[in-house]
Amino acid sequence: MSEPIARRNLLVEYRLRTTKCLNCGNTYFPPKYFCNNEGRSSKMLEVDNFYEKGEFYSGSVINEPTNRFNHLDTFVSAIISFRESKIRIPGRITDYIAPKAIKVEEFVGKKVIPRFRRSYSDGRDGLIHYSSHNFSLEDDYYTHQKYKVTKPTNINGKPGIVGYGVYLPKFRIKNDEPALGVLERSLPFADEDTTTFAVESGKRAIIHSAINNNEVRKCFVGSESSPYAVKPSMATVIQVLELGEKMNGGFFSGGIDSQFACKAATDLIIDAAGLVAYPVFKGKYVMVIGADNSQASPGDRLDYTVGAGGVALIFGRDDVIATLDHYLPYTSDTPDFYRREGEKYPRHGGRFTGQPAYFKHVVTSMKTLMKNTGLKNNDINHVAIHSPNAKFPVQAAQEAGFEKKQFETGLVVKKIGNLYSGSTLAALSAILDIAKPGERILMTSYGSGSGSESYIFTVTNQIEEKRKQTISVKEQVENPKKEYVDYHTYRKWKDIFYH
Amino acid sequence: MKTNPCAAIIGAGRTRFTERWEEDPKAMIGMAGMKAFESVDKGIKRNEIEAGFFGSFLYQVTNKIGLVPGYMSRELGLNVPMINTEAACASGGLALHNACLGIESGRYNAILVAGFEKMSDRQDKIIDDLMFAADPYEFEAGYNFPGLYATMMTRYMYEFGNNDSRCSEALAQISAKNHHHCIKNKYAQFKDKGEISVEDVLNSRMIANPIRILHSSPISDGAVALIITKPEIAKKYTDTPIYIMSSQETTDHVSLYTRNKITSVMSTRLAVDQALKETGLTINDIDIAEAHDCFSIEEAFFLEDSGFYDEGKAWKNIYESYESFKGSGHIPYLKNGKELTVNLGGGLKADGHPVGATGIRQAFEVFKQLRKEANENQIDREVNTAMCHNVGGTGGIATVHILARDIQ
Repeated sequence: MSEPIARRNLLVEYRLRTTKCLNCGNTYFPPKYFCNNEGRSSKMLEVDNFYEKGEFYSGSVINEPTNRFNHLDTFVSAIISFRESKIRIPGRITDYIAPKAIKVEEFVGKKVIPRFRRSYSDGRDGLIHYSSHNFSLEDDYYTHQKYKVTKPTNINGKPGIVGYGVYLPKFRIKNDEPALGVLERSLPFADEDTTTFAVESGKRAIIHSAINNNEVRKCFVGSESSPYAVKPSMATVIQVLELGEKMNGGFFSGGIDSQFACKAATDLIIDAAGLVAYPVFKGKYVMVIGADNSQASPGDRLDYTVGAGGVALIFGRDDVIATLDHYLPYTSDTPDFYRREGEKYPRHGGRFTGQPAYFKHVVTSMKTLMKNTGLKNNDINHVAIHSPNAKFPVQAAQEAGFEKKQFETGLVVKKIGNLYSGSTLAALSAILDIAKPGERILMTSYGSGSGSESYIFTVTNQIEEKRKQTISVKEQVENPKKEYVDYHTYRKWKDIFYH
Repeated sequence: MKTNPCAAIIGAGRTRFTERWEEDPKAMIGMAGMKAFESVDKGIKRNEIEAGFFGSFLYQVTNKIGLVPGYMSRELGLNVPMINTEAACASGGLALHNACLGIESGRYNAILVAGFEKMSDRQDKIIDDLMFAADPYEFEAGYNFPGLYATMMTRYMYEFGNNDSRCSEALAQISAKNHHHCIKNKYAQFKDKGEISVEDVLNSRMIANPIRILHSSPISDGAVALIITKPEIAKKYTDTPIYIMSSQETTDHVSLYTRNKITSVMSTRLAVDQALKETGLTINDIDIAEAHDCFSIEEAFFLEDSGFYDEGKAWKNIYESYESFKGSGHIPYLKNGKELTVNLGGGLKADGHPVGATGIRQAFEVFKQLRKEANENQIDREVNTAMCHNVGGTGGIATVHILARDIQ
């Protein structure tokens, strides 16, 4: 598909765009700019269905797909109706492995939720096509969340986290035996990649924050598994979530994709908090996303600890749920883990990744920040540390003098694996899910190459009001609808990323 | 029945439908055309042909034929107007319709109408190419072409099937019946395969649930040609012309999802209605029909959309007709003592479906049956009136022709 067609399609497909005649109420997909009833006198309104719930009208299990969709093997394509069947849209049911024998009629009437997913790519070196014409079943892994903007009550306060969203895919793989404490891991479905994780986590963060999406003026996406070497995931996030004021199909917002191994996102937290307090910026909010389809060479020891998913934080000064109080970065050129341009998988320096790299940087930044602030360890209620596995963060926390009760909530790596750029943020999110007003959180990230930074947040009263809009890490970890796959499927889905 | 036809068919020829690996399109078209000329009882000269109308769907991508008129001019050695029509699976039916308009307008006296397709040249890419007959958003949703009909079948079974296993069986019986019809048709793709049972259909490979491979028409190569003239000069060429009493084309949305209903094909309903009104007939006056059974559900839709059976009732009647049939000849659909025999040569399912040729093949089959020239496959009762029903895509277009032998 040519690039101009791709651009036109995404304007419709990212937001499930339809049009409605203001005179007679007729709705149209694909969007029409005159009404069949009213003709040239019609006035048409654009309507998007991005946050709506749909209904399965009819469909088929496609066992022998077109060449474009061969990578998905067997799947359900369907007609989905919206708004009491006033509008119908074709799409694909995602996160669903269709059994061979199934009565498709039994799907009719089921509620479905739009998902932003990868459709197909134009070959290894061509465009990747994404769409929101993919739907998960409501009675499956994901619940439907309503998006409602709430006027903030506590404005112009100290910069901090306004909301967050964690996206963990439905599918998991169990380790036969714990790999450095990691029991099971999340993995992408065949149509997911870093960009889709970034969008889904960003969507959840917007719902949780209850802010107006067009007041977000900057978006950072940190990752080490970007689907493109050149073309930012951030721009896709902005286009899908409509971040910034809209004009001519674009948005008055900016951002960047960043790379610093696993701390590509956390490094930008200070920038996000700084920007919202900087008058020239003129935006109210900044989104920081850490997302990865964490890569590891097949059979390598990392192949038993890597996970997949994304976490988005929104920073601002209104209705903040946790203020950002302290920050300290620490960096050195330490070659413990790297991937050369053009190589599929990263390489690591074995035992060198431990003491001279991870522990040195993490512990130095934690201890020094604590010392600089004058806070005692027991002033900290929770500790979130980058978790390449379940042993390193425990050892680092203990070296810095913290106790199990302070760091255990953040040890989600055991059940989701190492999310790379999302790892520290997933630990932080698990803590925010349960933190009480007034509690202090120390967060320390780590990125190979190497660097760490530590942040201290203080939780505010707003956290409890917004909690009902969260899908917690625990809910996702323990979701009874999560589905396990074997190693073969895990490798296959993980590597579709390269196609 | 009205007595003023649109046009008359005076000759018809075709190739066998199959995978014709060693022939290119011009060889197939040449063979079908030659046979059409040779079939004209009293003869016709090539230079009496005043125009050519051709139906083909995938000629551009499959065979890189970009300018069919020029291509045909070279192959026929004529410099007359050549009009190409593309309407997916209804390309042939639409070519015939346009040719009828050419005759009715008074512009042409004699026209060569042909349809062809060379699907096997595209091998595994054909599954993507067939989506040109659908809407781009359906393609983007992962649909293959069978999946779209499967979506119609799913909804039909949901609304009318009552969870009754006989509904699935009835839709399999359509395939079994059409295979039964093809075994004496020397041109049919599956002539040598022999009969298939309902169980064979229900156990065959699932390609787009609930559609199985044996619910589906095959990938075929083939060409068919007709020679049509003004009705008033037809007897100059043959004593038994077959008259085209009505030629209709109607359209509907290319996309399934924008239609009010997907359990019927509105374009078929409209075209049948107009054709019956024009001829002064009812569906009960039709003796035989060539229905567009690209997937067996579409034949069931035809039986309802044509008014032969009530909406949602076709599957029960198909089941009862099939189960009550005793004999070895063609299996008719029954309604209060009335018989309608459908797809006498095996239809798209068993005769084959080289997309652009199908609409012309239907007229060929009817031409032979009404002239009692179908040899071993000749229907064993007297028939005079026939309907040809050709659908493009999932119903974005339908053409309906009513043909008759004796019109006085």
